[in-house]
Formats: sequence, C-alpha cells, structure tokens
Amino acid sequence: MTSLTLRNIKKSFGATQVIKGVDLEIADGEFVVFVGPSGCGKSTLLRMIAGLEDITEGEIYIGERKVNDVQAAQRGVAMVFQSYALYPHLTVRDNMAFGLKVRKVPASERERRVREAAASLKLEALLDRYPRELSGGQRQRVAIGRAIVGNPQVFLFDEPLSNLDAELRVHMRSEIAALHQRLENTMIYVTHDQIEAMTLADRIVVLREGVIEQVGTPRELYESPANLFVAQFIGSPRMNVLPARAVAGRLAARGLNIGAAEGVGMRPEHISLTAPESGLLRGRVALSEYTGAATLLHVELEEGETALVIANGPAVPANGQEVGLEIAREHLHVFDKAGRAIRPLVQAA
Amino acid sequence: MADALTEKGSARSWRAPRLTLRQREAIEAWLFVSPTVAGFLLFFLGPLAAVVYFSLTEWNLLTQQATFVGVKNYVDALSHNPDFWHVLRNSFVFAMGLVPLNMALALSLALALSRPFRGVIFFRTVFFAPVVTSAVAWAIVWRFLLQGEGGAVNQMLALVGIDGPNWLREPDWAMVAVIVTRVIKMVGLNMILYIAALQAIPRDYEAAARLEGASNWQIFRMVIWPLLAPTTLVIFVITMIGSFKVFDHIYLMTGGGPENGTLVLAFYIYEQGFKFFNVGYASALAMIMFVIVLVLTVVQMTLRRRDMQ
Repeated sequence: MTSLTLRNIKKSFGATQVIKGVDLEIADGEFVVFVGPSGCGKSTLLRMIAGLEDITEGEIYIGERKVNDVQAAQRGVAMVFQSYALYPHLTVRDNMAFGLKVRKVPASERERRVREAAASLKLEALLDRYPRELSGGQRQRVAIGRAIVGNPQVFLFDEPLSNLDAELRVHMRSEIAALHQRLENTMIYVTHDQIEAMTLADRIVVLREGVIEQVGTPRELYESPANLFVAQFIGSPRMNVLPARAVAGRLAARGLNIGAAEGVGMRPEHISLTAPESGLLRGRVALSEYTGAATLLHVELEEGETALVIANGPAVPANGQEVGLEIAREHLHVFDKAGRAIRPLVQAA
Repeated sequence: MADALTEKGSARSWRAPRLTLRQREAIEAWLFVSPTVAGFLLFFLGPLAAVVYFSLTEWNLLTQQATFVGVKNYVDALSHNPDFWHVLRNSFVFAMGLVPLNMALALSLALALSRPFRGVIFFRTVFFAPVVTSAVAWAIVWRFLLQGEGGAVNQMLALVGIDGPNWLREPDWAMVAVIVTRVIKMVGLNMILYIAALQAIPRDYEAAARLEGASNWQIFRMVIWPLLAPTTLVIFVITMIGSFKVFDHIYLMTGGGPENGTLVLAFYIYEQGFKFFNVGYASALAMIMFVIVLVLTVVQMTLRRRDMQ
C-alpha cells in the first residue's frame, strides 16, 4: 500500500496541452476514480502515473519517491487496460506469469503465485486456455489476475469495463469493489461512466479539458457540486438548470434570495408533483417515458424551458395535463455567471 | 369472371419460377467470380496441364514434333545430367542467401519505420522505390557500380583500403553480388508487409509488457515476433518462391556466369526451352521446380502451424 501525490502535472503533445496543471493527493489504500467526458485527459493522466507517458511539467510521487524519471516497471504499479491487452499467443497461465518470467522469478515461484491469483479470481479452470477461448468477463478477470500476480503497490484501471455488456459490467463492478476491500491497495480507476464512478470510488476526481473541476466523495459531488459542469455530469438523468430570472421572484416570495445568480439547478429525482397553482413552477406534461421503476416526465414550463421530473408510483399525469412542480429548499443548486455554485442561499429580510 | 381467372392463371403460368434468396445470391456470386475463374482456367490451369503433358514428351520446337517418352525427361534431369544438380545447388544457394537476408533486413527496416517520426514517409519511399523501378534499369546501374575497375563500389572500398574484386566476373563473388543487389531491390516490399503487420499489433501489448518489466529485446522476442508469425510465413513463402523464379535479374546481371556460377533453375529452364529448343526437357525441369517450391512451402506452413499450436 502506498500514497500518491501529483504536483502541478502538465502534459503537452506538440503545441496541444492536454493536462493543464493537476494537483492531487491520494491516500494509502484509497480508491480514486478519474471521471470526465471523452478527451478530458483522464487516461493520459493515468498513463503518466504508470510511466507510459512522459511528464511535460510537474512532479509525481509514489509514496515518498519522486518517479518522474523512473521507468514504468520500477514504479510498483500494475495496469488493467481497456482492451485487456492479453497476449493472444499465450495461455492464461503464461499471460499471468509474463511479468514474473521477464523478471526471472523461478518457475516454481511463478506457478505458486499464478495459482494463488487464479484461485482468488476463480480462474483455475481456465489456466490452460487462450484468450480467444474466453468470454469478455473471463478476459477481464485474467487481466486483473495478471495485475495481482506482480503484487503492485498501486493498481491502475483504464476503463476496464467499457467493453462488457450492461449486465456483466454490473457484476464485474462488484468484483472490483470486492477486490479492493480484500487487497486494500491504492487503486486509481478511469471511467467516463458516472455510475461506475459513484459506486466504486472513495473519492471522485472530475476532469474537464485537462483540469480538475472537483474532487470529493460521491455524496459530496452529488449533493454539493462545485460548479455547473460537475452538477450536470454527476447524476442521471442530468440536473435541470433553469435561468435564475424564471424562478427568482417565486423563490423570493418563499424567503430565498438568490442574488446575482445566473442559473438554478434541480435534480429530476428531487422534484415532486403538486397542484398547478401551488408549485414553485408550473407547466404541462409534454412527454412521459415509463422506465419500470419510475416514469420520466418532460414538463414544458410556463417560462418556455423544459424540466425533467422523475415520478414514482402508479398515478402519473397524462400528456398535456397541467402540473405544479415543488422542490425542497435544500435541494436547490444556485450558480453564478461563471457557473460556480453559490451557497448558502441567503434568507430574505 | 371465369375468363379473367383463366387469364390470370395463364399469366401466372408464364412467370419464371421464383428463386430463393440463397439461389439468387449464389448466381450473383458466380457472376462476380466467373471472370477470375475463367482467367484462372485459361491462363493458369490450362498452361499447367500443358506443361505436365510437354514434360512427358520429347518435343523440339524447331521440328515441331512431339513424341511421348514417359518420364524420360525427369530421369534424364535427375540422374544423367550433372548440370541439373549444379543449377539446383545454385538455386538453393541463391534462395538460402536471399531469403534470410531479405527478411532480416525487411524486419529491421519495418521496426525502424513503423512508428511515426519526422521524415518517416521519405525513408519508406526511399526503401520501397527500387521495388517499382525497372529491373533492366536496376541491373544496368548495378553492373556499372560493380565493375572491377572504376566501379563505384570498389572506389568506395578503396577509400578504406580494401581492394574490391571484380564482382560480376569472379565465380565466388558473382552469386554474392546478385543476391545482395536483388535483396536491395525487393526488400521494400517485405518491409511494407512487416510495417502493416506491426501497425496492426495493439500498442497496449507493448505498454503492458513494459509495465511488467520487459526490456525492448524481451518485448520483441516474447510479444512482437510471435504476433508477426502469420506475416512472417507469408513473407517467407512469397520470397522463397520469388527467389526460385528469379530470371530477369540473373539474365541482366550475369547471364548465368561466370562459369555457370549464377546459373539458377529458372534461367536454366529458359535456356533449355528457348535457346536449345528442348521444350519437353524444359517442361520437366519446370515441374521439378514447382514440386520443390510446393514441398518447401508445405513444410514451412506445417512447422509454423505446429509452432502456433
């Protein structure tokens, strides 16, 4: 187990700067997830930690050791790739033992460690198969097994579940969580899937265009997003953001002053339906999408905006029906002109 | 009403039987491949069958008389003609020199030129250009360069104190010269095949191996080389077949000399057929060459397949 420190990390490819100064502390045994849209630099950052990409500027420490100029193999990290990167001409056993073999670990020791890792991942029966003879989930487990065998200080996962179908992804997610609980190693996990991030992470790092937008626990990010980007990136369906002018007057009437705010955010799952005349907002149901557990309503507001609302229970308003929308004060998110969250809401005099 | 039905019925009886989707696809497929199949039958299988027949005859082109002689031409070649074994030895020496040298050089160039860097396209073009250069021009230029006195190669060797031989006139050196010049001409083709194969290997394999502590040599030996095996097999087979079929290069560079030192099988077949007009004997030699190449290819493919398993 070991900690990790990133200090003002920058990365450029030619004239294009893709990482624009990242500072981050990761504690011993912590499970940290890098999340963000495509092209935000999360995989590049992971590869810099692994030693697969040079660092243009800044410092990376693994434990107390600065590793900027340390070769990838000497950093004590193991990585699980999105493509699994299993060598197709080697059996599962040889894939898992590859790192030990190149390090000239004796054959008996190699076999012992491969068997141990295989047992922990239920791979014993597959040791003599080739990757092409395995299912997606089995390949994923072999890739994890190969990482475990080397007994690394830090595990790096680069979108490891993105090639799996939805059901298998949920299953493998729980296996990775269980693996972290068992090994207690420091793990850094890259994904663009915010559900994966929310369910796995001790802390989430939200990245956009090479900068960190916010670092926090899943609950902090969900309940107290630092800005509009994080607010809309975390949570599904995404947060409704209405122009402040549309609701400022009614909020003031309820004793809330949102000052110079530009937008007001409400998560669809926090909005409740009420009578048209008594809600904070009023609108007409334009579309309803039944998803089984709930119904997603598209409500056209009087102000011309459309708000998404999750309606639970069997009594759902019909299309075209007028409804009122209500939300508890603590669930309102207010953003200024620059998109930064403003809080707390000021009580009106 | 009844008339109408009859009319309808008769119209229906005129319609061609409806084909199933599978049948229609089969017809379309045959239409697409038929030009190639026709060409194959006309220009490959036909001549091949003719050569098999000619090889069993004594046919002099000048007299236009063909006499069936059974396997006499084969027996003559294999047991009564010392030239044949000398020529066969030359062909093997040429192939054994050219194939490994060509493949090693092609792979080295491909490893150097498969990654993007400034000027990579220029270097790839430089090494590929000889492949599309006229064989005649190539041979003439190299004959000048390899001249004993005043040749550019020997002049350069003289700069470092080496007294170069008369490359194309000395039996010991002529074979070396034709092999090396042939390799330089054709290596670009194999280089391109290896570059394509190297670029198809996912970069994650190398990254994973590097993370696990593998050196560059270990990555090549344990990851890259095994993954190149199918390409290596193809390159080996086409290069070997090409080396046994080499004709123009020998014809233009040495004419089979000196002292028959570079007389290889394809050139010998040409001489027998079109210089001495022994078409039957030349056909038998061509069949022997076909069998040799076939056997070498099958052996190589079998070994590779066993290797892969």
